[in-house]
Amino acid sequence: MATVGEELVRRMAGGDGDAFARFYDRYAPLVYPLILRIVRDRTDAADVLQDVFWETWRAASTYDPARGTPEAWVVTRARTRAIDRVRSVRRRSETFVAPLDEAMAAAPEETGGDAADRASDRSVVSGALGRLPEPQREVLELAYYGGLTQTEIAERIKQPLGTVKTRTRLALERLREMMRQ
Amino acid sequence: MSHETFDEQVAAYALDALDAGERALFEAHLAGCARCESTLRMSREALAAVALAGPPAVPPPDVKAALMRRVAPLPRRAETRRLWLRGALVAAAAMVVGGFLTGMFVAARYEAELGRVARDTSRLREDLARQEAALGTRVAAYQAVVDLLRDPGTRVIAMKGAGPNPTAEGRVVWHETAGGHVLVAKLTPAPAGKAYEMWTISGGKPTAAGMFQVDASGQAIHRVPPGGGPVDVFAITLEPEPGVPAPTGPIVLASTK
Repeated sequence: MATVGEELVRRMAGGDGDAFARFYDRYAPLVYPLILRIVRDRTDAADVLQDVFWETWRAASTYDPARGTPEAWVVTRARTRAIDRVRSVRRRSETFVAPLDEAMAAAPEETGGDAADRASDRSVVSGALGRLPEPQREVLELAYYGGLTQTEIAERIKQPLGTVKTRTRLALERLREMMRQ
Repeated sequence: MSHETFDEQVAAYALDALDAGERALFEAHLAGCARCESTLRMSREALAAVALAGPPAVPPPDVKAALMRRVAPLPRRAETRRLWLRGALVAAAAMVVGGFLTGMFVAARYEAELGRVARDTSRLREDLARQEAALGTRVAAYQAVVDLLRDPGTRVIAMKGAGPNPTAEGRVVWHETAGGHVLVAKLTPAPAGKAYEMWTISGGKPTAAGMFQVDASGQAIHRVPPGGGPVDVFAITLEPEPGVPAPTGPIVLASTK
């Protein structure tokens, strides 16, 4: 039987604007914190959020339930678009490692949202990620939230590339394992 | 190459952390490997679960508004399009008719038709604007009455029909310093050239308090300015437009002292 999310995407593929509104209401509040955590700027995050959901509307007919849940479908897209945004900003600033260091160390600079954002970061860490050994968690966060390739991660944490690859594999094995439980 | 390499690559691929060359190689392998495809799918689900594990946050409301605008155009825009379409159809019909005719006559006919469409459209627009304004005025009056009723100094005075309108009814919502509103019902619409006039009477001296008309159902709401002093009696008479300084016509509604 189709889940609520699958049913909404199916109706969106048929051009149902109400279904799209419900799809947005259901997933935007979940996806927005992820985008915000990656791009670290509210205006950029709102832009990315709009792009992501516009894409889901346009691509609804290509969604295949056999290839994953609507959650994974929209999150994968959101993470990719958010990283694209960070990379283009980084390219514009023509510096590479320094802004990322600051971003990883500091909470977002906006007033009002600081506490909530920091809390959200912590709760992610104390969830599934918190149960990973520190070296695996570090590699995973640099890739997933920081948008670094394995080569870049190796340079950054001054470890051999092979070590980074092994840690990445182990981290994902463990996450998949946790999800099965 | 053992599959172990791909096990490593699929993890990095799920994180989009492969370098370009390695990614191309892995994608070539992925296309035919059910095991990697399944691992990739599970990895993405696991990452999504991690990503969505934090507390939700309400995104800025204008994002949804913008998306909804992109998905479906505004109804008002649809309205304009329909009007435009109707105009276009009428104009097209005029052109077909005009095709049988010649020269200046065609042009004149077409222009007349276009003029008619333009007049229709602007009349429609004016009607709408008028209705909207009337509704706005009425809502504002209701709001004023409700606000007035919140004041402990406000009284409600009944008015009884008299003379030609024995069944007419009225209520004055009245505040001595702020003035108030009179609400009437079952009053016959005034004949042409005439209107109802409101009077506030203090110490036997009537003060004109404005002219009004009733609607087709015999109802009206009318703003009454504060009187010169404490009002003893409220009365409504039928008078010639645009009103008289002292009552001349028959009393149709009056409060009992």
